[in-house]
Amino acid sequence: MKAIIQRYGVIAFLLLAVGTAAQAQYHNDLQFNVNYNVNIPSGSFRNFINNPAWKGFTAGLAYPVTSQLRVGLSVGYNDYYQKYPRQVYSEGAGSDVSAVLSNSVQQIPLLATADYTLLKKGLIRPYVGAGAGVDFVSFDQYLGEFDNPQSSAHLALRGEAGILIPLSSYSATAIRIGGSYNYAPYNRDGIKALDNWGIHAGVSIPIR
Amino acid sequence: MNRTIIRLTVGALLSIVLFGSCKKDPVSNLTNDESRIYVTNYDTTANFSSYSTFSIADSVAVIQDNQFAGRQKNGFDSLAVNAVTRLMQQRGYQEVGAKDNPDLAIDISRIYNTSTGVFSYGDYWDYYGGYWDPYYWGYPGYGYYDPFAVGVYTIQTGALEIDLLDLKNATVNGNKLKAIWTGMARGEQVFNTANVSNEVTSLFEQSAYLKK
Repeated sequence: MKAIIQRYGVIAFLLLAVGTAAQAQYHNDLQFNVNYNVNIPSGSFRNFINNPAWKGFTAGLAYPVTSQLRVGLSVGYNDYYQKYPRQVYSEGAGSDVSAVLSNSVQQIPLLATADYTLLKKGLIRPYVGAGAGVDFVSFDQYLGEFDNPQSSAHLALRGEAGILIPLSSYSATAIRIGGSYNYAPYNRDGIKALDNWGIHAGVSIPIR
Repeated sequence: MNRTIIRLTVGALLSIVLFGSCKKDPVSNLTNDESRIYVTNYDTTANFSSYSTFSIADSVAVIQDNQFAGRQKNGFDSLAVNAVTRLMQQRGYQEVGAKDNPDLAIDISRIYNTSTGVFSYGDYWDYYGGYWDPYYWGYPGYGYYDPFAVGVYTIQTGALEIDLLDLKNATVNGNKLKAIWTGMARGEQVFNTANVSNEVTSLFEQSAYLKK
């Protein structure tokens, strides 16, 4: 049932985006961005999860301050998961637990963003961007089937670079490809940060 | 424009919810064996090599929601008693009768805890229009009011508990039988007869100090 909901939801969203893009041929101010992300843990985060988050997503609105600078808001989602084979963990003097350990982390960064396009024209337009805001984190560590969930909010910073590829010389709709570094301080069970590298591909659509 | 922004915002939020529902469920990615945990605790002041003999109860205590429900000896219980006896002997301890002044006593318990609660069918009703489009009933474009539907669930969890009691030093310990080692297994199918040997062995394997 969930698969059906997801399938129809994704189709509905794509129709929504395409419909918006069609309307946007006549407007080119405010931009709507939606990206698929793959995020890779870095730093001390890798002590807990090495696996990339394959189910990443960001969406945002960017308002043009100048022809090259846009500011806006962005929200995203990343799902990290890793299972470790059975091992005995010491829980203090005289106490041991043998378990398969699973770490599950979900991040929802809500950021104020700024993007600067380095070239006004061209088939490929490099851009750099930055973001700052709040990272809503759900961290769940499982010993076997027994979990210990915790949710919290933390500072989030993002640095980003990539390219925009307009669909045509006159189109303000562009393919958006790039990479980012996401700084996400955290403090739990020896985890100091949930920093990660991200790569993304998506589309930037004018909506006004 | 406002409608466009609202549509995009709703689309983005919908997408996030959809991605969120794609969260990998760690529990569903576990086998029954992987779901189980084995917890051991021991008295760090105990000298396990100072004990020579043990006696083990030939039946198992059943504890239901913190209430003693009697002693039983079903197939699982017999296998548990046999496994503990075998492993204690392998560690160098000698089994004796309860009246033969053993140094150690071993009790095994099956512990059951029941929890109940209520839940709503929110996930079901949130997408009701997707399953039963009002168009079907001649009301295209209409929506549904979510009913206040709730359900009741009851979950029973179980644990195998093995306790090692110090009889040798009962008097020294203020006329108290002190548990110097406890082992507990919890998780899926913990009381399955096919798993009992592996469960008891796991508890002993992580207790290398438990030897004569």
